[in-house]
Amino acid sequence: MKKKMSKIALGLGLCVALVACSKDSGTVVVPVSAITVSNLAADTVTGIGVDGRPQSAGTTTYYSLVDNKVIASADAATVKWDVAFTATKILVNSGTSGPGLGGAFVFKGLFDDLKTIPADSLFATDNSNASSFAIPWGSGKGWYTYDGLTTLVNPIAGRVLVIRTATGKFAKIEILNYYKGGVTLSSTASDSDKLTKQRYYTFRYAYQPNGTKTF
Amino acid sequence: MKKTLSLLLILGLSQGANLFAQTRFAKDTLEASGDSVVVTATRTERKLSNLTVPVTIINAKTIQQNGSLRLTDILKEQTGLNLTSGFGAGIQLQGLNPDYTIILINGEPLVGRTAGVLDLNRIALGNIKKIEIVKGPSSSLYGSEAMAGVINIITDAAMGAPLTLGFRYGTYNTVDVNLETKLNTKQLQYQGFYNTYSTDGYSIRPNSNSRVTTPIDRYSTTQQLKWDLSSKTNFVLNTRFTQEKIQNEIAVANNGITIYSIGKEDIKDVNLSATLNHRFSKKLKTSVRAYSTTYDAVQNLLTINGLPYRDVLNHNFKRIENQTDWDVSKNLQAVIGFGAVWEGVKSSRYDSEKVRKQNEIQYAFTQWEWKASNKFTLIGGVRFDQNTQFASAYSPKLSMLYKLNGQHQFRFSVGQGFKAPDFRQLFLDFTNAAAGSYSVFGSAQAQQVIAKLDALGQIGNLFPNYYLLKALKPEYSNGFHFTWDWKVNTRSAISVQLFRNDIKNLIESQQVGTYISGAQIYSYLNIGRAFTTGIELEGQHKLNTNWTLSGGYQFLLTGDKDQIAEIKSGTVYTKNSQGYSRLMKLNEYVGLPNTSKHKLQVKLNYNSPKGYYLNARAIYRSRWAVNNNNGNEVFDNGDVFASGYIAFNSAAGKTFKNGLGIQVGIDNISNYIDAANLPNLPGRTFYTSFKYQFQNNKNK
Repeated sequence: MKKKMSKIALGLGLCVALVACSKDSGTVVVPVSAITVSNLAADTVTGIGVDGRPQSAGTTTYYSLVDNKVIASADAATVKWDVAFTATKILVNSGTSGPGLGGAFVFKGLFDDLKTIPADSLFATDNSNASSFAIPWGSGKGWYTYDGLTTLVNPIAGRVLVIRTATGKFAKIEILNYYKGGVTLSSTASDSDKLTKQRYYTFRYAYQPNGTKTF
Repeated sequence: MKKTLSLLLILGLSQGANLFAQTRFAKDTLEASGDSVVVTATRTERKLSNLTVPVTIINAKTIQQNGSLRLTDILKEQTGLNLTSGFGAGIQLQGLNPDYTIILINGEPLVGRTAGVLDLNRIALGNIKKIEIVKGPSSSLYGSEAMAGVINIITDAAMGAPLTLGFRYGTYNTVDVNLETKLNTKQLQYQGFYNTYSTDGYSIRPNSNSRVTTPIDRYSTTQQLKWDLSSKTNFVLNTRFTQEKIQNEIAVANNGITIYSIGKEDIKDVNLSATLNHRFSKKLKTSVRAYSTTYDAVQNLLTINGLPYRDVLNHNFKRIENQTDWDVSKNLQAVIGFGAVWEGVKSSRYDSEKVRKQNEIQYAFTQWEWKASNKFTLIGGVRFDQNTQFASAYSPKLSMLYKLNGQHQFRFSVGQGFKAPDFRQLFLDFTNAAAGSYSVFGSAQAQQVIAKLDALGQIGNLFPNYYLLKALKPEYSNGFHFTWDWKVNTRSAISVQLFRNDIKNLIESQQVGTYISGAQIYSYLNIGRAFTTGIELEGQHKLNTNWTLSGGYQFLLTGDKDQIAEIKSGTVYTKNSQGYSRLMKLNEYVGLPNTSKHKLQVKLNYNSPKGYYLNARAIYRSRWAVNNNNGNEVFDNGDVFASGYIAFNSAAGKTFKNGLGIQVGIDNISNYIDAANLPNLPGRTFYTSFKYQFQNNKNK
């Protein structure tokens, strides 16, 4: 009966968010709760250039998954941040992006289904010189698709960004939305809305502070 | 008898190849004036009620009374047909894209497709006698492209008024002028047709880059000459020339900054065909047809703050063909044909716009019709196409008709259709400098080009797909059609049709590698599998001598079989309203994009013996998926849809005994507009037209 109950709980995905469950083996899984971050501005658009492309200040928003807060860009060269956002590009604190132990890969599946990072997973690091990032950048390559007809950015369903933090611990992120207020604009929204309301990340993440690969 | 024969000649000649209708069938033709003669379904003249496959006929009167000017106008009001709007106005038949329907004029194919779409606005309707639409794979007779069906536009035969003038004026300064002349002597029949069409165009959404319809000038002329060399031999010459000039002045305003560009398109389309028909005996006749067509399109785009852009497409197609019709016995008739095609394309999107890419096709076909009894007819046919650029194709078809009694008849057909890889899929050499410098290479030279780039150190990665590149196979479809016609009584008729098309070897663009820079490289592979299936219902009811109510409905289901397999295997995800991903369920899948589940049209028609007519038409199309917005590449309920809509059209007029005809009409009465998804549907438009036929006493 108990076994059945826990299966139901797993099935509902409650395990991650709310309660600790016991595995059949009896080892205790430390609960990590999912946190949602809303409307995180990432180099928002300030205008439009003569070439018709959006203009912005070119800033990067640094974020600490450990402390769930924005880190000042003055600390970009420290291990205080884990992930950083600039328009559609997501960086991890590694390689050309920062001095940390960061790394990442894109997992195909559901956020709640990723309970343990497979042991043989390969974490890539940022190497912007060859245009390659741990989280591949570009439409259809990493976490989003860009639709040239509607000019909207949509997160790809079933993508989890598995993150190794600046200090070598593990977290998982699901990008929920790219627009202000967490709602993708309608395809018929005005061009000015499409420009000014983009680059606001809403995402949920779970961070495992104990250093294991289990959430 | 001789008089009968020359009348037969005239009837037969309009289809070029199929003169000298066989005596037995010709008798049917003459006696049963209400039962139209169809040529497209079997490449021989057959009464509509004797066909084994589903055919729709649109006659000149319907076209004229509906106020249709261009081919698109009339096709969009047919059951199971929908207009598509990318790269010109194409037609989707039973859920299959415009690529898969062959468009013929007097039996000869039109060329000049952009991304698979042949812009049907190129075709003026002023001199058309009828349009025949055959649904279901017809490659067994027509070869490539006849996968979803065949649309054959048949121009007017030579009998009629010696001179007809037509003028129409409508909203957006749309002016259409027609001139038709006919000349009949004992041995010669001539028809000349001239049409000019011009419009100021319209912009539903100002200050946007979504170009709707822009100022267009179109000119077209067709000439048809038939010459009876003897009682057994005749010669038919058809020419057609169309020219289209489009001018765009595009102003894109974004946050106060406006970018101006000027676009000019110049399109020319020339068709030339010559046919020699000879009857050896009552049982044997043959025809030799030579056909040449060229489509030439030049597009220049000048942007004030950007590089000039030039796009050139020149497609030529030459064909010679022989067809022999042989009455083997009273109940067995054979058609045997063979031919050769020389086809070439020059395009600025290939490696050099100066070098013409060539393909040659040799083909042979045969069809055997066995009339087992008065109730049962069976037709078997097969065609083989061999060519130099891709794998050869074999297209069999079997169809049958069973007449249960005077009220009920059943048709069943099963056949294989194919579409050859087009020149773009074979030879494209295109790098988009504006959007990330990705490249697309046609499969015929992708490996060569990429190997060359690799030797120069430009290639980053090669994907497994690269090693799978090989000669493309044609796309194949297996089609199944079942039709039940029920003549309920003298005033009502119903027809029910079930259809299914299974398509394999779909050619899709796939990433085969990357440049060092990370930019993608694409080519084409045979990978997709899809299906379309559904029901079509058509009905007609004569309310009284003057009023008729008719309608048609199509229920359509479509799907990508590989995607369905992925959904079933639990590897396709979608997002809920909060943005959380979850597994997608099969019942959320909506099928192929741009396909609508429901299409309905209803028409109320009034025709009085005094020449007055009035019609009111409503056309409904349910929503269709246009964009994927959750990155899963599969269309589900959460994606972007174009809303379903209804368009109401109406026209009224009178034809006077002295040859004058007047007409007024309104299209899109409710002013339904969807600029993004229906650029071919302008707002409410009014028009009025005048037509005058100079009477010819000899022809009553």
